[in-house]
Amino acid sequence: MVVRVQETGVDLEVELFGIPLRTPLIPASGTLSKEALDEVEGVYGAMLPKTTTPVARVGNPPPRVAETPAGMVNSIGLQNPGVERFLQDLEVFDLGIPLFVSVAGDTVAEFASLCEILSGVERISAVELNLSCPNVECGGLAFCAGASSVEELVVACRSIVGNKPILAKLTNEGVVENARAAEAAGADGLTVINTLPALTIDARTRKVLVRGGLSGPAIKPVALRAVYDVSGVVDVPVVGSGGVASGTDVAEFMLAGATAVQVGTTSFVRDPQEILAEFTAYLKESGLGASQLTGAVRSPDPGVPVPRPKPVHKSSRH
Amino acid sequence: MKFYRVNVEEREALGSYTLLRYRWNGPVEPGQFVMARTAGYPITLDPFLARPFSFYDHDGGVASFLFEVRGRGTALLDAASSIEVTAPLGKRFRIELGLGRAALLGGGIGVAPLKILGRHLDAMGVPHDVFLGFADAAASVVAKDFPGAEVATMDGAVGTRGTVLNASGALTNYGAIYSCGPNSMLAAVKLAAGKNSLCQLSVEERMGCGNGSCNGCVVPVHGGYVRSCIEGPVFDAEVLAW
Repeated sequence: MVVRVQETGVDLEVELFGIPLRTPLIPASGTLSKEALDEVEGVYGAMLPKTTTPVARVGNPPPRVAETPAGMVNSIGLQNPGVERFLQDLEVFDLGIPLFVSVAGDTVAEFASLCEILSGVERISAVELNLSCPNVECGGLAFCAGASSVEELVVACRSIVGNKPILAKLTNEGVVENARAAEAAGADGLTVINTLPALTIDARTRKVLVRGGLSGPAIKPVALRAVYDVSGVVDVPVVGSGGVASGTDVAEFMLAGATAVQVGTTSFVRDPQEILAEFTAYLKESGLGASQLTGAVRSPDPGVPVPRPKPVHKSSRH
Repeated sequence: MKFYRVNVEEREALGSYTLLRYRWNGPVEPGQFVMARTAGYPITLDPFLARPFSFYDHDGGVASFLFEVRGRGTALLDAASSIEVTAPLGKRFRIELGLGRAALLGGGIGVAPLKILGRHLDAMGVPHDVFLGFADAAASVVAKDFPGAEVATMDGAVGTRGTVLNASGALTNYGAIYSCGPNSMLAAVKLAAGKNSLCQLSVEERMGCGNGSCNGCVVPVHGGYVRSCIEGPVFDAEVLAW
C-alpha cells in the first residue's frame, strides 16, 4: 500500500528550509539500510542514511542491542564504510527524493572536512550533524555536552558546507540551550532528539549487557517535550525524533512544533507505510494539510475537530 | 518492517523446546530465518522486538520454528493463537553436489535448521549423518524428530556423554559440514572440520530489526564485523574470525 496525495486528496507536503518534502516523514539516521529500501516506497519525504565518518569504522564488539520495554538500547559504534565509499555507493540511496546525509567525526576539523567534501556533491540536499559522538579534543565529552562546543562545531561546518542547509541533531540533555547555540551559529534546522543514555544488565550472568542509547516508544514523551520546548525558543525548523510509532505520534510531534518527523526504531517492528496511512487518515479527518499542524498546539484556538484515526494494520495470510 | 499475521496451526511440546507450526506458502530455504512475535494492536510494546528463529521445516504450506521459553517474548509465543511473522530472511545453507558425505551438527536449539536442511539434502541425494548435542535429557527430546541421529548430552543422560563433537568423532572424512549452535560450539566445529571440506556455520545472535538496518546482530570477520541477518546467518567457516 503506497499512500499518494492524488489518491487521498490529503496534502502531505511540507517545506523544510525551503526544500519541499512530499511527506513530513524522514528515516532516522541508522535505522534504514539499503537492503530495506524496497519496503518504504512512497513513505518518506527525504532519505537519511546511516551516519558517515571520515574513515571507515568497524563499530563496537557485540552485544550491541538489548530489548527494553517499549524500546531498545543500542551501542553500534557508528559502524560505516567511511565517506569515500559512502559517496561511491550514494546512488543506492537515491529514491528520487531529497537526500540528507548524517555526518560525525572525532574533532571539529573532521566534521568540517566532511562538510567540505559533501558541499561539492550536488545530489545531497542537506547535512545532519550527529552531535552525540564524543569530541576527542574535549576528553571524550559529546559535542553537544555544552552550548559553546555546539556553537564552535556548527560555525565551522556552516562556513564550509556552502549553500547546503545544516541540521544539528541534539540530545535531550541541555537541549534548549544547545538549540539556541546551534541556531545562533547558523544551523538551518534542528533534529530533536537523539537516543537517551541507558544501560541494560543481564542479572543471570551479572554483567553489563549493553551501555548505549535508548530509543523506541519509551522515549516519546521526553522527545515530545524537547520538541515543544525547543520550537518555542528558536525560529529555525525543528525535526522531531524519538519514539514515533504511529500516525498520531507524527501528528503530535508536528503539533508540538516539528516541521518534519523522523521514524526510527519502530520501523523495525512496524511497516512505515502504516504510519503514513494513519497520519493521512488523521489529516483527512481534521481537514488540514500536514504543514498546518506545525506548532498548532500553541495556537490559542486550534479550531479543528479532534480526529481519532483507527490504527491501520493489514492482516494477511501467506 | 512489514509483518504478516498468521494463525498458529499447532504447537508441539518437545521437552525443553516448543515446535510451533503455522500456515506459510512463501518460499523457505534451509538456513533462512523468520522474525516472529505475538500479535499486537498495532504493535506490542513489551516485548517490543520480534525474535529471530531458524526455520525448522516447511512442507505442504506449513512452516515451523523451534524455540525455548527463556523470557517474556518466548513465553508469549508459547501461548498465542496468532502470531506475526516476516520471512524468509537471511542467507541459506549452500548445497554442493559431488562433495561426498555431509555431516550435520546441531547444538541445543541450534538443531532447528538441520531438519529442513536434511530434507533438502535427501531430495538432492546427498548422503549425510546427523549429530545432535544437548545439555540434558529434556533438551534432547527433539532428537526423536531426527531418525538415525547420534545424540550427545553434557550430563550423559542420553547418548554419548559430552558435546556434539564427542558424538561425531573426527570430521575430516566428510566432504561437507553444516552446523548451527552456540558460537563456542561452532568454533570447535570449524576447528574439527579442517580446511578441506565445505564448512557452513549458522550463527545465533541477538537481533534488533532482522532487515539489515540496525547493525546490531554482527559477528566478527577478518577486518571488522558483518550483520548476521543479511550477510548470514549462514557463513562459510573461514569467513568468521573465531
